[in-house]
Amino acid sequence: MTHRKLIFKSLTRRKGRFLFTLLGIMIGMASFVTFMALGGSLKSQIERESAALGANLVVTPKGSCAYEQVSILTGEQLPTNITKDEVAAIRSIEGMQAIPYLAERSAIDNRPVSVMGILPEETRIFKNWMLAQGEYFPEETADGAVLGSVLAEQFGLAPGSDVRIRGVDIRVLGVLEETGGKDDLTVFMSLPVAQKLYKQKDLVSYVAVRVDRLDEVELYANKIKDKVSLGVVSDKQMRSSVLSIVGTVNMTLQMIAAVAILAAAFGIVNTMMTATYERKREIGILQAMGATRNGVFRLFLFESGVYGLIGGIGGAVMGGLAAVFATPFISQNAATSFVKGSESSLDPTMFAGAILFSTLVAMIAGLYPAVKASKLSPVEAISYE
Amino acid sequence: MNDTVITAKELVKEYGKGATLVKALRGIDLDISRGSFTCIVGPSGHGKSTLMHLLGGLDHPTRGTVLIDGQDMFRLGNKELAGLRAKKIGFVFQFFNLLQSLTALENIEVALMLASVPEKEQKDRAKKLLDSVGLGEKADAKPGQLSGGQQQRVAIARALANNPPVLLMDEPTGNLDSAAEAEVMKVLKKLNREGKTIIFVTHSNEIASRADNIVYVLDGQIQVPQELRRAG
Repeated sequence: MTHRKLIFKSLTRRKGRFLFTLLGIMIGMASFVTFMALGGSLKSQIERESAALGANLVVTPKGSCAYEQVSILTGEQLPTNITKDEVAAIRSIEGMQAIPYLAERSAIDNRPVSVMGILPEETRIFKNWMLAQGEYFPEETADGAVLGSVLAEQFGLAPGSDVRIRGVDIRVLGVLEETGGKDDLTVFMSLPVAQKLYKQKDLVSYVAVRVDRLDEVELYANKIKDKVSLGVVSDKQMRSSVLSIVGTVNMTLQMIAAVAILAAAFGIVNTMMTATYERKREIGILQAMGATRNGVFRLFLFESGVYGLIGGIGGAVMGGLAAVFATPFISQNAATSFVKGSESSLDPTMFAGAILFSTLVAMIAGLYPAVKASKLSPVEAISYE
Repeated sequence: MNDTVITAKELVKEYGKGATLVKALRGIDLDISRGSFTCIVGPSGHGKSTLMHLLGGLDHPTRGTVLIDGQDMFRLGNKELAGLRAKKIGFVFQFFNLLQSLTALENIEVALMLASVPEKEQKDRAKKLLDSVGLGEKADAKPGQLSGGQQQRVAIARALANNPPVLLMDEPTGNLDSAAEAEVMKVLKKLNREGKTIIFVTHSNEIASRADNIVYVLDGQIQVPQELRRAG
């Protein structure tokens, strides 16, 4: 017999109670881990998209706030407030490239997809796209669409087939190679064709700008502001303002999970209190056999610690699985989470931290019952029937 | 043989204060000879169990001392006192002696564990102890699967685990029928012959009549100590 074995035998004596208390802490930890993992994957997705945008500056509609910035990175529909003249004015500035986009949305088989109107040749060079199948837009105003690789695969589309956007059948020209970002889930059309389809004549959603000299980003931002009355943000600003929103959301979710863990901790207190009453006599017997007060204290403290340890491991596994399987349903960009590199958010230090945290919480929860148990005088405990 | 193993001097135990003061023991002096079989008898509520708890170091007296092998128990810290209980005294109580979640064998192993016996040695020693009380084949039975007499014999085996010189029994047969009582008494007699000092709290005059010494506790005091010579 060792102390460890004694703890496990005592714990599993009331199997039902052991299991239900364990489930409590497991569910709490699972929700915590799920939200952490989701938050992590959202963050890395934002960072990936920001890199994929390939811009140093983004020109957004006037009065735009963080919402537009989020939309640029997640492929949401955007208000189209930037006019042809404004685009021309921006593009006339020397020393930088400015690429206009029309960001719209549609649905294929009832699943949302992004639709982008682009300047085919300039965007291809800007984004370093490679073609996997079929052909690229043969001319700047060509009809037809080029698809992201994941989207083509998901909906079984290949060059020559038709994709129905806004009730119009559009011929698929080609499919891009995988990029690892939301471009993989986007239908690209030439700008005039998209503007006509969405009845947004001469309007675009935003303009991505890449400057030739990185150290002069600020200078160019001011040059753009001088020419047009539009919002200009740097990619860094955009990323940090989006991440701060994501962070707030994460924090809120984690607070909710913390409440679940707190409730579970009280479940442990309750179970351990019951155990000290139920085993009062056994505590006396142990003391008569030579167990010290400290020994009794540790026995009960570690018993509750085990709830946290097993609950933490179970919760981390459950939460990890939930994060992997739930992300596609929670996130708007269905397949983005399955796009390469998204599994990085399940990081082992987070799991280790979660298990440690849950063990610690359980031991704190077990502190009061353990003190109660150790304070029993042997005579009082033995006389209890 | 004048070797005393336990000496109690002017032992007083009071509970409560003022109007609710209860004088459980009112000054007890007692010598227990090594290897003797002593019965503590007396009516309920007159201080028998309190005396036993003090002799075993489970409780602290209001005044007075208890020496075991010449050592003053109540000068020890809690930790040392617990260590002394583990090594020098074996307890058996009236009922529910065993940890319900453990088997007979494991119950004995716990006592060995508390005296820091390495895990490897525990199983062998526990088995031998169970054999010595005639329950070798019940090693894997949980307390619920044992009869009352068997449970008490496991408790005795456990009390013997660390080979203490003294066994303290608080009505160990109080809950048993006469056949089971006879089983338990047989084991205790054998242990006594082998040299264990046994202190036995009982209501039974029949058991007391077989003891070397009878200590009669009435109103928290020892009345008319009777010395019965062992036959032969």
